[in-house]
Amino acid sequence: MARWLARTVAVILLVMVGTTMLVRFAPGYFSDAAEMDARYADVARAELAAEAARSHSLAQMLAAEIGGWLRGDSGVSRQFGVPVWELIQPRLAVSGALLLRGIALAWALALCASLLSSASRNPSLLWQAPAAILLAVPAAALATLCLLVNSGGPVLVLALLLAARDFKFLHRALRRAWLDPHVLHARAQGVRSRHLLRAHIVPALLPQLGALASLSAVTALSALVPIEVIFNVPGLGDLAWNAAINRDLPVLLTVTMIMALAVVCAGMGSYRTVAWREA
Amino acid sequence: MSLGRGALFLLLGLVLAAAAVVARPGASYSYQDREAPLAGSSWRHPAGTDDLGRDRLVRVSAALLLSLAGSLAAAAISTAAAAGVGTLAAFGPAAAGWGAMLVCDVFLALPWMFLLMMVRSALPLTTLPAHSAAVTFLVLAALGWPACARAVYRGAVAQRTSGWMLHARATGLCRVQVIRHLLPNLFPLLIPQFLVSIPAFVIAEANLGALGLGISEPLPSWGGMLFELNNSAMLMQTRWVYLPLALLIVVLLALEGVAQEA
Repeated sequence: MARWLARTVAVILLVMVGTTMLVRFAPGYFSDAAEMDARYADVARAELAAEAARSHSLAQMLAAEIGGWLRGDSGVSRQFGVPVWELIQPRLAVSGALLLRGIALAWALALCASLLSSASRNPSLLWQAPAAILLAVPAAALATLCLLVNSGGPVLVLALLLAARDFKFLHRALRRAWLDPHVLHARAQGVRSRHLLRAHIVPALLPQLGALASLSAVTALSALVPIEVIFNVPGLGDLAWNAAINRDLPVLLTVTMIMALAVVCAGMGSYRTVAWREA
Repeated sequence: MSLGRGALFLLLGLVLAAAAVVARPGASYSYQDREAPLAGSSWRHPAGTDDLGRDRLVRVSAALLLSLAGSLAAAAISTAAAAGVGTLAAFGPAAAGWGAMLVCDVFLALPWMFLLMMVRSALPLTTLPAHSAAVTFLVLAALGWPACARAVYRGAVAQRTSGWMLHARATGLCRVQVIRHLLPNLFPLLIPQFLVSIPAFVIAEANLGALGLGISEPLPSWGGMLFELNNSAMLMQTRWVYLPLALLIVVLLALEGVAQEA
């Protein structure tokens, strides 16, 4: 556990260094859309010059970044001129609630569908086809279509996208588990499916389910941006998109760091599932 | 005919049809027919035009070719990088292996969409459309290799202790020779990884473009054309706006079919 924790801290620190380097050495870091407007060009250039002086060296920039995180403000937004944390704080709950509801609904859908499809003798197209089509639709397109036909909100779109992916893995894993020799033997002897699921299949699949849950969380984080932007949900994805459009790199950097932290925490969930099973 | 073979033929047919449309004399993805903005289907513009009067069929065909070519290149780069890193980690010193897997963890901890947005927004405002396309696919390649590298690393470690490898090392083959013999043994692992990456990259580009952060205009891209779906006034005028989405779904299903067969 201690070794895993040390590795996680190292990963987070490396993510911070890597993303800061990426932003600092990006060719467009010292440019602003306001420079193109004669009314704001002088102010924008002065601000960029001040920023250039502040972030003269990478070490200085990293120290400012870490200091900002320790102070709890994470720097100042270029676009709004307020501490980044002030922008992020109210949006964390919105995105968190959307993620939780979306993932819960997706798992419920995927579990029900995969239990029904894996228990049948032949894998049916009735279950496979919708999942294959959903996997072939980009999140942004699915969200736009739902908006156009005025049915389904951000939670449903997120859940459908995740459920299709989860179903694909769950169906395969459950089908394999149902065909295990000891399960086949038990079925032949008349042991009830419910008991088999509870006593043999689910415990055997637990590590895979843990890994799949982490994967769901990572997929959901990436799908968050198009869904929040298209449904106009004031969450972290929408903030990141706004920051990207307006080249507000301090905000984008902080949101990316939070997302990386969330991915690492999701990975911890999977690690704990394996540890719990092995205990 | 198997599903994978059918999907491959469908894909080849689409690519050939798209190439024929783009190579047609007088076809241009950026030419604006000012007389016919948002026109419906006609002999001159079989799939109508967009709000700037550009031929939609030519643009969709060019987007298909660009997206597939870019995704194929990105998948090839990421698979080659994964093969290199995974093999190096398995056969190099222990510290190199540990370091390579740590770098993989760092990349895997970064959600693609956020990193893509960060890189795309950090480009200069004067970036040329061709450069924006190259950067988009290069970034996808740079983000796509870690998961594959982990799989290659595991495969290479398993091969390291296999009978033929022990025999080869015992007979005095040097490390470079061993790796040369190892690579063909890793192909069954690398080819599915390569094929699975292609639809993932196509979807990532489409999502990024649909947010207005993908390949810049006037170059056509799936994402750029999906962006049109946000214009409800345009949707009322012509149903051809849905053509890029329908074609994208067909292409992705075909790519998935090919990948599953492998």
